[in-house]
Amino acid sequence: MTRRNAARTLVFAFVTILALIWLVPIIMMLVVSFMPPDQRAPRFGGLLIKGVSLQNYVTVFEDAEIVMHFVNSVAVTIPSVFLVVVISSLAAFALARLKFFARDIWFYLLIMTLMLPIPTLVVPIFQINKALGLNDSYLGLILPYTALGVPFAIVILRSFFAGFPIEIEEAARLDGCTRFGIYWRIMMPVSWPAVAVVIIWQFMTSWNEFILALVTMSSVEVKPLTLVPLVYSGQFMMRPGPMFAILTLITLPVIVVYYLMQRFMVSGLTAGAVRG
Amino acid sequence: MSRKWLIDNQGLFFMAPAMILFVVFVLYPIFYIFNASMYDWDGINEAIYVGVQNYIEMFTDDRAFALSIRNSIYWTLLTIFPQMILGFILAYILTSNIPFQNVFRIIFFMPAIVSPVVLGIIWQRIYAPFGGLLADLGREIGAMFLIQPYIADPKIAIFSTIFVNVWQWTGFSMLMYVAGLQGLSQEVLSAAEVDGAGTRQRIQFIILPMLRHVHLTLILLGVIGTLQTFALVFMLTKGGPNHATEMLPTYIFQKAFTLQSMGYASAVAVVLLVIALSASIFQVRVLGSRFTIGN
Repeated sequence: MTRRNAARTLVFAFVTILALIWLVPIIMMLVVSFMPPDQRAPRFGGLLIKGVSLQNYVTVFEDAEIVMHFVNSVAVTIPSVFLVVVISSLAAFALARLKFFARDIWFYLLIMTLMLPIPTLVVPIFQINKALGLNDSYLGLILPYTALGVPFAIVILRSFFAGFPIEIEEAARLDGCTRFGIYWRIMMPVSWPAVAVVIIWQFMTSWNEFILALVTMSSVEVKPLTLVPLVYSGQFMMRPGPMFAILTLITLPVIVVYYLMQRFMVSGLTAGAVRG
Repeated sequence: MSRKWLIDNQGLFFMAPAMILFVVFVLYPIFYIFNASMYDWDGINEAIYVGVQNYIEMFTDDRAFALSIRNSIYWTLLTIFPQMILGFILAYILTSNIPFQNVFRIIFFMPAIVSPVVLGIIWQRIYAPFGGLLADLGREIGAMFLIQPYIADPKIAIFSTIFVNVWQWTGFSMLMYVAGLQGLSQEVLSAAEVDGAGTRQRIQFIILPMLRHVHLTLILLGVIGTLQTFALVFMLTKGGPNHATEMLPTYIFQKAFTLQSMGYASAVAVVLLVIALSASIFQVRVLGSRFTIGN
C-alpha cells in the first residue's frame, strides 16, 4: 500500500507542477495588468512586478471605450445564443421525433456545416451583409453566428431527444398533446443538461469569434470586445499595462460564464450528448 | 400541398428557421465562392471573367499558398496527436480520485475558453527576445537555448505558433477523455482487474480501444480546427515573417481584405473547402468518426 501511496503522491506532484506551468500565461496576463505605470520595463515578460496598482484599469476606462465594446459583445452574443437554442431545439426535435419530406437529406446538409471552415465563408458573408446593409450592424454578426452555431447544437440536442422514452410521448399524444406541446412542455424542460452545453458552447464561440467580426464591424462604435486589442494596439503599443488590463477585462466574462456553467458541462456531455 | 401532406410533414415547420439560415449563410456562400473564383475582382469595380486562371496561378506560382499548405500539414500532425496523448494522460490521472481533481480540470481547460486574440498578445510577450518571459528566464538561469527568435525566425516561427495551439487545446482533449472515461463500464474494468490485468494492460487493451469514438472525434475536430485557424496566427505573427506561418484562412483574409483580390481569395477558399470536405467525409464515411462529444 505504501508503494501505491508513493506513486499517487508522485502523480499528484507531477500534475500540480504541470498545472502551475500551464497557468503561467494566464497569471502573466493578470500580473502585467496590475503593474504600476512607472515601471517601464517589466522583467520575465512581466511575471515579476514591483508593487501592485489599479492604475492600468483606470487608464483603460478613461482612454478606451471598454464599456461600449462590452455592450456590443453582449448585444451580439445574447441574441445569437437565444436564437441558436430556439432554432436548433425545434429542428433537433423534428429530426429526432418526426417524419417529414427529405428528413435525412436535411440532416446531412446541416451536418456538412460542421465540416466547413468559417474562413471559406468570409468573403460571401461580407458581400451578403453588404447587399442587405448589415455591415456595421449587430444583425450582421447575429445572423451568421446563429446559422453557423445551429448545426452543432442540433447534433447535441437531437441525440438527447432521441434518448427520451417514446412511451411518455405516446401517452401525451393520447391525452391530446400537440407535437409542439410535446416539444415545449415535455422535451425542453427535461433537456436542460443538453441545453446548458449548447448555451456554454454558443456563448463562447460568439463571444470569442474573430474573423467575421473583423470584416463585418469596421466602425469603432460597433466593434465587439474581441476586436479591442487591435483597436488599441497602436495607442498602447509601448504600454503593456493598459493592454493587459484590456485582455483581462475581455477574458473575465467568459471565465465567469464558464465557471457558473462548468458543472453542467461534464454532466451534460456524459448524460445526454454521448449517443450519436 | 394538401392539408394532409402539411400535417404529415409538420416537421418542416420545426425545421424551417434552421433551413432558411442554412440556405442564406452556408449554401449560397458555397455557390458564391465557386462562381467568384472564376473572376478577377477587387470587390468594387466590374469583375473580369478569367476562368481557371486563379487556380493555375495558385498551384504554379504562389509561394505563400504553397507555404500555407505545408503549414496546414505541420499543424495537423503536430497539434492533434500531442493534444490527444497529453489530454488522455491528464484525463486518466484526473479521473483516478486524486485530490483537487476538479480544480485541475478547470485549470487545464481554461486556455480553451480564452480568446485566441488575447492569447496571441500574451504569447508575443512570452516569446519576445527582449523582456520576454523565455528570454529573461534563459538569461537568469544561464539556459541560453531559451533565448531564441521564436516568432521572428522563419524556420521556427510555425512551430512556436503550433506550440501555443497545443497548449490552448490540450484541455479540451482532456475533457473529452474525462467524459469518455466516466462513461466506461466499470464492470469490464473490474473484471479485467480480477483477471490480473495490470494498469498498463488495462489501458492498452481495454480503455484505449473502448475510447475509439473519442479518438476519432478528436481527430475530426482537430482537422477542422486546423483548417479554421485564423485569430491566433493573425495576432501572433500576421502569417509572417515572409509567409512563414501563413495558413489558408490568413491568406484568404489577406488576399480579400488587404489586397482586395476577392476573386483570388474565393479560389483559395474553394481549395480550403474542398480539402475540409474531403477530409471530413473520408473520416466520417471510412473511419466512422462522429460529431459527438463523449464516448
